[in-house]
Amino acid sequence: MPLLPRNWPLWLVVLFLITLPIGAGILWLVLTALYNQVHGLVPMGKLAPQNWRFLFEGSVGGRPSIWVALKNSAVFAAAVATLEVLIASMAAYAISRMKFPLRTPYLGMILTLHAFPAVSLLIAIYYILRLLGLFDTLIGVILVKASLDLPLGIWLMKGFFDQLSWDMEMAALVDGASRWTVFWRVALPLVRPGILALGTFALLSAWGEFILPFTFIVSAKSWTLALYMQSFMKEAFVDYGLMAAVGLFYALPVFLLFLFGQRYLLNIYSGGVKG
Amino acid sequence: MRRYLTPFLFLGPASLLILLFFFTPVVATLLLSFTDLATTTFRHPSWVGLANYRDLFADPFLKKILANTARYVGLTLAFNVGMGLLLALVTSLVPENWGDPFRALWLLPRILPPVVYVFIWQGMLAEAPMGLVSDLLGVSKNWLVETPWVAVILANGFVGASFGMLIFTSAIRAIPRELFYAAAVDGATTLQTIRRVVIPMLAWPILFVTAYQTLSLLTSFEYILLLTDGGPGFYGTEVWSLHAYHLALSNYFGNVEFGLGAAMAAVLVVIGVVVSLFYLKIFNFRALVTEPKIEV
Amino acid sequence: MSRGTSVRLQNLTKRFGRVVAVRDLDLEVNPGELVAFLGPSGCGKTTTLLMIAGIYRPTAGHVYFGDRRVDPLHPRDRDVGMVFQSYALYPHLTLFENIAFPLRLKRVPGEEVKRRVKATAELLGIGGILERRPAQVSGGQQQRAALARALVKEPQVLLLDEPLSNLDAQIRLSARAEIRRLQRELGVTAILVTHDQAEALAMADRVAVFSMGELQQYATPEELYHRPKNTFVAGFVGSPPMNLIEGEFTGDGFRSGELRLPLRQAPLGRGWLGVRPEHLRIAGEGHPARVLVVEPLGREAIVIVELFGHRLQILVAEGEKPAPDAEVRVAFPARALHYFDANGRRIGPE
Repeated sequence: MPLLPRNWPLWLVVLFLITLPIGAGILWLVLTALYNQVHGLVPMGKLAPQNWRFLFEGSVGGRPSIWVALKNSAVFAAAVATLEVLIASMAAYAISRMKFPLRTPYLGMILTLHAFPAVSLLIAIYYILRLLGLFDTLIGVILVKASLDLPLGIWLMKGFFDQLSWDMEMAALVDGASRWTVFWRVALPLVRPGILALGTFALLSAWGEFILPFTFIVSAKSWTLALYMQSFMKEAFVDYGLMAAVGLFYALPVFLLFLFGQRYLLNIYSGGVKG
Repeated sequence: MRRYLTPFLFLGPASLLILLFFFTPVVATLLLSFTDLATTTFRHPSWVGLANYRDLFADPFLKKILANTARYVGLTLAFNVGMGLLLALVTSLVPENWGDPFRALWLLPRILPPVVYVFIWQGMLAEAPMGLVSDLLGVSKNWLVETPWVAVILANGFVGASFGMLIFTSAIRAIPRELFYAAAVDGATTLQTIRRVVIPMLAWPILFVTAYQTLSLLTSFEYILLLTDGGPGFYGTEVWSLHAYHLALSNYFGNVEFGLGAAMAAVLVVIGVVVSLFYLKIFNFRALVTEPKIEV
Repeated sequence: MSRGTSVRLQNLTKRFGRVVAVRDLDLEVNPGELVAFLGPSGCGKTTTLLMIAGIYRPTAGHVYFGDRRVDPLHPRDRDVGMVFQSYALYPHLTLFENIAFPLRLKRVPGEEVKRRVKATAELLGIGGILERRPAQVSGGQQQRAALARALVKEPQVLLLDEPLSNLDAQIRLSARAEIRRLQRELGVTAILVTHDQAEALAMADRVAVFSMGELQQYATPEELYHRPKNTFVAGFVGSPPMNLIEGEFTGDGFRSGELRLPLRQAPLGRGWLGVRPEHLRIAGEGHPARVLVVEPLGREAIVIVELFGHRLQILVAEGEKPAPDAEVRVAFPARALHYFDANGRRIGPE
């Protein structure tokens, strides 16, 4: 607020206290991954490299190698982000900058779908994927994930395209460009902040995605890291050290982004990305 | 029509995916809900009319599931909005270079992979020596089994609170500074300023967050699925959306009841369509549409 | 470089929904001519320009470049260059790449692009800053770069949409002369859109005055000044604007309230009498008036007087300005009067 209260340190203490569970959780994960045994948040015993054995052993308990899962996760996240940014940008550009019949209803539909809870469609999507022969394939899940996040992406990118100057686009047309050329050579470079925002959001969202691969992927060779990690949760005996290490490994990109891109993350998530 | 070829090309891929994975599923959900499609009848499903819906309402556990759903949505929503508001206010009462890191910290639960996030909760609630809660309370129990609802609501709440936090923070930042100066000149204390200046300005954002999160909580089940999978015991924390998912896609009893699950999902789909159309009406959508200035 | 083409607008009409932006416009620009579209904002001048450029599609009517009908063509097939009010330079490209953009789109070979961009930039005096981005150069330099981009492909028609209105007052005068010189040298047909009548009169061979989507008058600057076709043009061209008095022509004079002016060859009926501030004189004889306000402009002053209930503006030399509240006499000139009918159309003299 524009005027800081004189007793703001007190408020800082309040803030610290309510945030404590998050800090404790992260600390718990890190300590449990590193040490042999942890009592609450107090490490006991020695550092435990054996928690990280999944990195070196080809397979833990009959699972596929974590590197396969890592590769699948990377392909999944990268493909979803690329598809989403590309397709959403194209559609958003048309909605924002072009005349066509039913433009307003189309935009209304996008906004409605943005609010619409897509998880309620999983059952039907399962059926559709089977019909398309895309069930239990990475491609199928990539298409579903990119599609379900598409209304959000279109909405976000439309906001960025709306702010472009019309003069600039008119100039490009007079200079001899087609709309397609204008889109690639003028409009897209100018909405780079939007592309970065949507790209980061899509990457994070796809990296963490659990329900879709869980529902639509069966074969272990197509497992993502989410499925790899979840497979440990179902076991009767829980090896906390190993799981924490897998979890830390899996969440590492997120932690790095958090450490080095805090401001940026806040900007993205304040910019109308849905929760 | 030729002149609209370009926009249609731009819209093509998006329209195709939306058609395939939004519109078709909406229709398919409704259609499937009128069939007896199940593992045993996968090859030859037949129309059963409203039978699934009749079964649904005849289910003796319906009451329990409805109560669970109400409890889950109501309490999580209260936590989300309340905590979001508290966080937005408190992070605004400390200097910016303190407020921002804390806001970012609250984003972590949202951006962490749900599997990792839920694992942390499970670990912290586990028996001693691992479980932090057992350690602190000095009673070694699996608190996830002892107090499943607390776990479900807090785990969802810590994810959901940041949504309100961000929306309320931007709303607070949008309040003209003169209002704060005027309040200070009038001799208002910090709490009075919050109550008389800030909160009234947040009425609309609070309504928005409540409306938005009600719908998404009603249909979301990812964290419950991972945390308790509807347990402990028989339907301990099973909510409507999770039950639909269980029936149709991962049945305990091996026979997937697709039609019945679809009927449950159809109820959510209909609610979703109606409510999101309603949002479109109240959030003044027309103001967002401007005419394009290029006609080629 | 090639000499420009003629531009002909035929029954050109543009509607946005129910609003008519341009109505039934007929106008021809000769090859190599510089024509200004002048009018207040919202009068349809920019809409017309954008129809010539091909950004807007006419609702009705046609656009011809020479004998070629261009209204169905995409902008890129029209061979026009355009400078925008905001310059519309691409912020992510250097000035060089900005100017080269039209050539790159035409797939002109790299060496030739280099040569032509250099040549055009030299012509405009920005050869030394081509590696900078738009944000790193001054407004005047941006304006030149925008002009270079419009000229580099040697267009037949150059369209200028308020190209000077974002410049500082001092640069604006030199930029006017510069554009005019270039346009003459290159022989390109040019259309300048402006709301600034001084700019239009100073730069253009002919001026088209627009109001409410309709062409009011299309004539040389001299003609506009001496023989405005209607009260709108009379009031819009000239600074300060022409005084217009509503009253009745009686065949041998003009009457409005107590004001009576004997006139030769006066028409009959209700109408307007127009007289420019610079043609009214404060003299020993004439009609009694009271000075309301005196606005000194430096070399001259505007005197606002009340004469039989009418407010009139009079332009006088600095040394001859009366004191506020003074009682003076105002003389109407025998020539340089303008008669308009009740609908505002010019009816005389001549």
